[in-house]
Amino acid sequence: MTHLTPDELIDAMEGLLSEERQSHLAACEQCQRELAGLSNALTEAKQVSVPEPSPLFWPNFSQRVRVAIDQDASTGNNWPAWLRWQVLLPLGAVAMIILGLMISMPKQARNDDASVSAALQTPEAPEALDRWVMLADLVGDIDLDTASAAGVTLMPGDAEQAVLQLTAEEQQELTRLLKAELTRAKS
Amino acid sequence: MVGAVRPLTELDDSVLVSAAVAGNREAFDVLVERHRRTVYQVCYRFVNNHEDASDLAQDAFVRAWRGLKNFKGQSALSTWLYRIAVNVCLNRVSAKTPATEAIESTDHFEDVRIEGAQHAMIREERAVAVRKAIASLPKKQRATLILRTYHDMSHQQIADVLGSSEGAVKANFFHALVNLKKILGSEP
Repeated sequence: MTHLTPDELIDAMEGLLSEERQSHLAACEQCQRELAGLSNALTEAKQVSVPEPSPLFWPNFSQRVRVAIDQDASTGNNWPAWLRWQVLLPLGAVAMIILGLMISMPKQARNDDASVSAALQTPEAPEALDRWVMLADLVGDIDLDTASAAGVTLMPGDAEQAVLQLTAEEQQELTRLLKAELTRAKS
Repeated sequence: MVGAVRPLTELDDSVLVSAAVAGNREAFDVLVERHRRTVYQVCYRFVNNHEDASDLAQDAFVRAWRGLKNFKGQSALSTWLYRIAVNVCLNRVSAKTPATEAIESTDHFEDVRIEGAQHAMIREERAVAVRKAIASLPKKQRATLILRTYHDMSHQQIADVLGSSEGAVKANFFHALVNLKKILGSEP
């Protein structure tokens, strides 16, 4: 018959071993030795208590907990873990990059693509395009650090919000331009 | 006639939890006072030194305060607090052997001729060795051994605390004891 498994040895220590396996244990010196070794280790562990701290420690401990809770509340640490700045900063950076791409797209499209879309052929299109170009020129040379230092910050969701504010035609054009850029980047 | 208001210290945990969730800090203070020793002991057995244990226990209570509204009372408050304390310890304790309290010099005992004192000294030295051995076990084995041996939790309760299966808890308990036996067997 096979020796007791680790599970069965634990069961044996806790008096939960099945009768059939108990009969094996009664006849097997190796299993008995192993069980005795484990039981001794457990007995030794059980005898060890935690040293009692100084009597002054407990009132001081309760006070420390009170102060820590107050500090926790005042620093706003009760926000959900995923809403910390370590998460928000990269998200903001990604949003800014997306917005930067969106802003610079019309300029590149004008240079690279002779076919101007229907969306940009409206009467307001030249004026709008000029505004895009001016904006792209303004932000094109500004890196993320400079923008942050100047107080230009983005909240997560700003890029998505900007896209939602585009008309259906503008969104279509943006999709086309992004696809063209992706194709160009791949080639 | 309005009955006399019972002092907070006479109220049971569930009533105090409700009061604390409603913003009563004194109710939470009573809960801290009631459970601080056991929470500290869990932490101490993890790290085997007073400084870290008191920091971890404090952190556990801060987290308990934060999460008190989520405590639904399916388990005893003490079990819930163990869970928080163990998770704080598992997250904070590094994989390396934790800093343990220095074994006090025993030179001053050399001239002591009272047999009882010598026995006490030997016992204490052994206790220090056992605590150190427990604190050097891998984290899950350590947590399992501590909760099973000192807090009398069932395998299933430990599995709930550690987010593992009952089988994994039994395996961890087995390996913890095997390792403990090995470490203590190699002690001088």
